[in-house]
Amino acid sequence: MIFLNQIIQGVLLGGYYALIACGLSFMYSVMRIINLAHGSLAILAAYALFVLADRYDVSPFLGLVVVIPAMALVGAGLQRAVLERSARGGLLVPVLSTFGLSIVIDNLLFQQFGADTRSLAPYIGDLSYDSWSLTDDIAIGKLAALTMATAIVLLGGIQLFLNHTQLGRMIRATAEDPDTVGLVGVNARRVNALAAAIAMATVAISGAFLAMRATFDPYSGALQLIFAFEAAVIGGAGSLWGTLAGGIVLGVAQSVGASISPQGFFIAGHATFLLALFLRVYFGDFGPRLRSWARRAA
Amino acid sequence: MTTTDRTNFASGAPLSRRALIAGAGAAGLALAGGRRVFAAGAENTLKVGFVSPRTGALGGFGETDGYVLEVARKALASGLTVGDKTYEVKILDRDTQSDPSRAGQLAKALINSDQVDLMLATSTPEVVNPVADACEAAGVPCLSTVVPWEAFYFGRGAKPGQPSPFKWTYHFGFGTEEFHKMYVSQWNLLETNKKVAVLYPNDADGNAIRQHLAPLLAKDGFTIVDAGPYEDGTTDYSAQIALFKKEKCEIFNSFPIPPDFAAFWRQAAQQGFTKMVKICQVAKAGLFPDGVVALGALGYNQANGAYWHKTFPYKSSLAGVSGVELADGYEKSAGKQWTQQLGASLSLLDAGFDALKKSGDAKSKDAVVKAIATLDTTTIAGKVDFTHGPVPNVANGPIIGTQWVKAPAGSKFKLDFLVTEHVNDPNVPIGAKLRPYNS
Repeated sequence: MIFLNQIIQGVLLGGYYALIACGLSFMYSVMRIINLAHGSLAILAAYALFVLADRYDVSPFLGLVVVIPAMALVGAGLQRAVLERSARGGLLVPVLSTFGLSIVIDNLLFQQFGADTRSLAPYIGDLSYDSWSLTDDIAIGKLAALTMATAIVLLGGIQLFLNHTQLGRMIRATAEDPDTVGLVGVNARRVNALAAAIAMATVAISGAFLAMRATFDPYSGALQLIFAFEAAVIGGAGSLWGTLAGGIVLGVAQSVGASISPQGFFIAGHATFLLALFLRVYFGDFGPRLRSWARRAA
Repeated sequence: MTTTDRTNFASGAPLSRRALIAGAGAAGLALAGGRRVFAAGAENTLKVGFVSPRTGALGGFGETDGYVLEVARKALASGLTVGDKTYEVKILDRDTQSDPSRAGQLAKALINSDQVDLMLATSTPEVVNPVADACEAAGVPCLSTVVPWEAFYFGRGAKPGQPSPFKWTYHFGFGTEEFHKMYVSQWNLLETNKKVAVLYPNDADGNAIRQHLAPLLAKDGFTIVDAGPYEDGTTDYSAQIALFKKEKCEIFNSFPIPPDFAAFWRQAAQQGFTKMVKICQVAKAGLFPDGVVALGALGYNQANGAYWHKTFPYKSSLAGVSGVELADGYEKSAGKQWTQQLGASLSLLDAGFDALKKSGDAKSKDAVVKAIATLDTTTIAGKVDFTHGPVPNVANGPIIGTQWVKAPAGSKFKLDFLVTEHVNDPNVPIGAKLRPYNS
């Protein structure tokens, strides 16, 4: 029974990772940009929600109504001001520029808010630690369940949007070949700005759940990046359902690893990540999108 | 930048010409009329380096240093008299940005370019050890605090039972022994099954505590249930919680980094472990109010240890302020709740300047280091006595048992920080009875 609980907790943890990784995965699949400022931007959204909750007594869920559009605007602005320009310089430049951006964001947050540890948990009552206990050994945290549900809806919703709507097809086509979509009358710049806006809207949601589940301070963005990155890679970069699956695989591996040895948490997670990477290298299990990208890069 | 700086910056209206002239005139009068006039030149200026983490991951420690330095500078405005000579004092404060290698570089710059006469360093081995190493190598007297002394002494290469390899570097503060005494005294305040769930991470602090403290606690009749060394940054603790629940532990003890504790404790609440816990004793996380406030209702009744509390019955030998005056002054100036680092940083300045005074010749490094080695003084944080230390170069300092409780309605801040136990310094008044965590 205890082992079953380990697996359940691992799956729920995976939902959290997938939710954190959503924006990262989306940006990579659509814009071919590895956004190293992802964690810092999530913390930025968390601070926005914190200010609303602390100063104006706005519940973090209600606060998202304001913060999601605000972050979407940040995304569009970022695309125009930073990402688009640096993407012209090759694959490596966006990595460097987003890394620089993350340092700027971290330190601006420090200037404004100081080093204090914050959390949104005090503003959502007992949701952050309440649970349904099924047996003595199995309990499901309410926030963890909500995180999982949000991850499924968000990742699934975006995947459906990309596959089944006109706009989604335009975004995918722009990702495949921005020059050719221009020939059929699509404004690639605007589509990319929209895609960045969607990515940052999901980052706002990641930030909210991160801040409700754990604590944050101006420098905690980078920590969040590692697991998000691993989840995205295990699931196959660029596939959103894959990211959900990748998050769950990572979460279960860590949770089961931890029950074998306390150090197993990280080792099992990283080993699974490496294994997924190797399998893909040797069996060529890259998504078709990635293959076409490799063709173009070659 | 501290809040104080920001406030000053914001309210700093441009000086009018008239005000400026009036100010300059007043300063001139004060100089001419004052009993002592500082002569120019390095001979008459004492330079003291003060290294602490003001920004970065350890920024919580340095947050109050801006105010403490303001208090110290005010007290030193008319100079420091050593023997029959009065020196102008310059405190050169430096921020390590929580980076150990930067701490070492800053110390070297203070030694070589600024030529400090005394170095002071505080808060965590990541700051103190590299600064002390630089001073030891260059032959500059260095005094430090707020690090477990074992990490300062053994962590820098001293061996038990052998003579101290350090000539220039001295440290005062708590160690494993103080934690041990405080825990036994605090945990016996409540009726429990004496089963202690311990969550010690696989880092320098966690492993040292597992090796040195846990066996001592076992000797005092506590059953230690150790979930093993987990890595910092772990995000899921269901395996550890399952073990603690199975063993029905009523005391919980941990030395986690703050974000890990929030993740652990919330999950422990989800899984039903916190309902069993009568004493939740956390070190490291929960030193400062913000980390406990971030836990929400789960933070109420969390027990801690403190190296200073505003009710310590001592006055600053340098600035003359009492603990309550210092805490109130900070709250007024910064608009934030006082923290235990206020007294610790001021006690370092107290001890440092007392040593300079007693050296007889503050410009002689040998005289200063000799004064530190034989220092026996009372600071705002209590006694600092290098003549009776556990090892050479170290003086003991207290850790007292404390608890965070929900502040009564209408208070300025969300939590109160109360003294519940005082075995390491019985002069500190007990403020409240320890409450069970799950009450």
